[in-house]
Amino acid sequence: MGPLAPYEIISENTNFLLAFFIGIAFGWVLESSGFSSSRKLAGVFYGYDTVVLKVFFTGAITAMLGLLFMSLFGWVDLDLIYVNPTYLTSAIVGGVIMGAGFIMGGFCPGTSFCGAAIGKIDAMVFIGGLFIGVYGFTFTYPWWEKMYMAKFLGFPKVSDKLGMSDGFFGLLLILVAIGMFIVAEWAEKKFPREEY
Amino acid sequence: MKQLKLLALFVIPLGIIIAAVPADKVKHFKLTADELLQEAGAGVQFISPDVVADMLVQKDPSLRLIDVRTPEEFEAYSMPGAINIPLSNLLADEYTDILHQEAYMNVFYSNGSVYANQAWMITRQLGYENNFVLEGGLNYWFGNILSPAEPSQTSPDEEFAKYDFRKSAAAALGGGGVVSTEATAPAVKAVKPPVTAKAKKKPSGGC
Repeated sequence: MGPLAPYEIISENTNFLLAFFIGIAFGWVLESSGFSSSRKLAGVFYGYDTVVLKVFFTGAITAMLGLLFMSLFGWVDLDLIYVNPTYLTSAIVGGVIMGAGFIMGGFCPGTSFCGAAIGKIDAMVFIGGLFIGVYGFTFTYPWWEKMYMAKFLGFPKVSDKLGMSDGFFGLLLILVAIGMFIVAEWAEKKFPREEY
Repeated sequence: MKQLKLLALFVIPLGIIIAAVPADKVKHFKLTADELLQEAGAGVQFISPDVVADMLVQKDPSLRLIDVRTPEEFEAYSMPGAINIPLSNLLADEYTDILHQEAYMNVFYSNGSVYANQAWMITRQLGYENNFVLEGGLNYWFGNILSPAEPSQTSPDEEFAKYDFRKSAAAALGGGGVVSTEATAPAVKAVKPPVTAKAKKKPSGGC
């Protein structure tokens, strides 16, 4: 029966409308959890506040379990779920740039808009930088094209590459996530900060 | 810490369950009779012989020709690079990987297009994609691609372009010689029905 949009159970417009409401809910949750503060995000890298890591990993394993169970019940066809194509070089380079920007600016794209919405000046500056980056990349695209399209690997899944079932990989990921949470909580105790 | 224990208590058992159940083999993307009728009516499965000839000449690696006739017929003649999956064995387990895949463009062919069409309908009903039917089958292939009839003098330019393409394709695919005697016969009569130019169909994968 699902996914809803590719099966045309809901129209493209309804899809956008749902995305709009989900987006608002996402922004509200981000803001109310304190993600609009760049200090909270930077805390992940210094170890004094790892809420961001925990929230996003919990979100990821929740979504993963949801999809796997819905597929098990025949509610959603995983073959029709969009998987990003993998261009290995640009994934690595993009990851490094994103990570560097994350540490320096203290925001990721989503939380910067969240911060700007409640009037944080550093978030607005971050958005300015984001747009400079977007336009800069767009106008100089021919220079990067070769690297951007390099090492195309198709639409691989880690579980396929490792030759295990999706479910077993899911369990491994859950255990890794729990392990990471334990380390994160230890780090919070080890590098505490009174006020930030 | 208490929250973490709660989370672990909740997600680890769920993870164990999902790891223990067999992978989802239910093909819930099967087509309903209505959808199949619609697709068959629109003729989306047909791929023009000219496109196939072009792919063969270009040695396009994504093309996979599947002969659905009997092994005896396949032995007697088969198209270049074709594999044989007799229609009666279509659903054998060993062929599932060939028919249910995303890498190749499978093109079924038989003498006409009836058996190939049946193969397409069965695989389509199962939800498989990237399977097509050679329009007109081997009969049309022999009569028009491997031994094309010269168009009459008053034919539009595109007929001549098509004729030239088919002639060179036939030479590249080792045609002509096989049916050389037939090749001249229709040229004299020159009553070849006009061939409507078909838009190239590309296999559409994914959603």
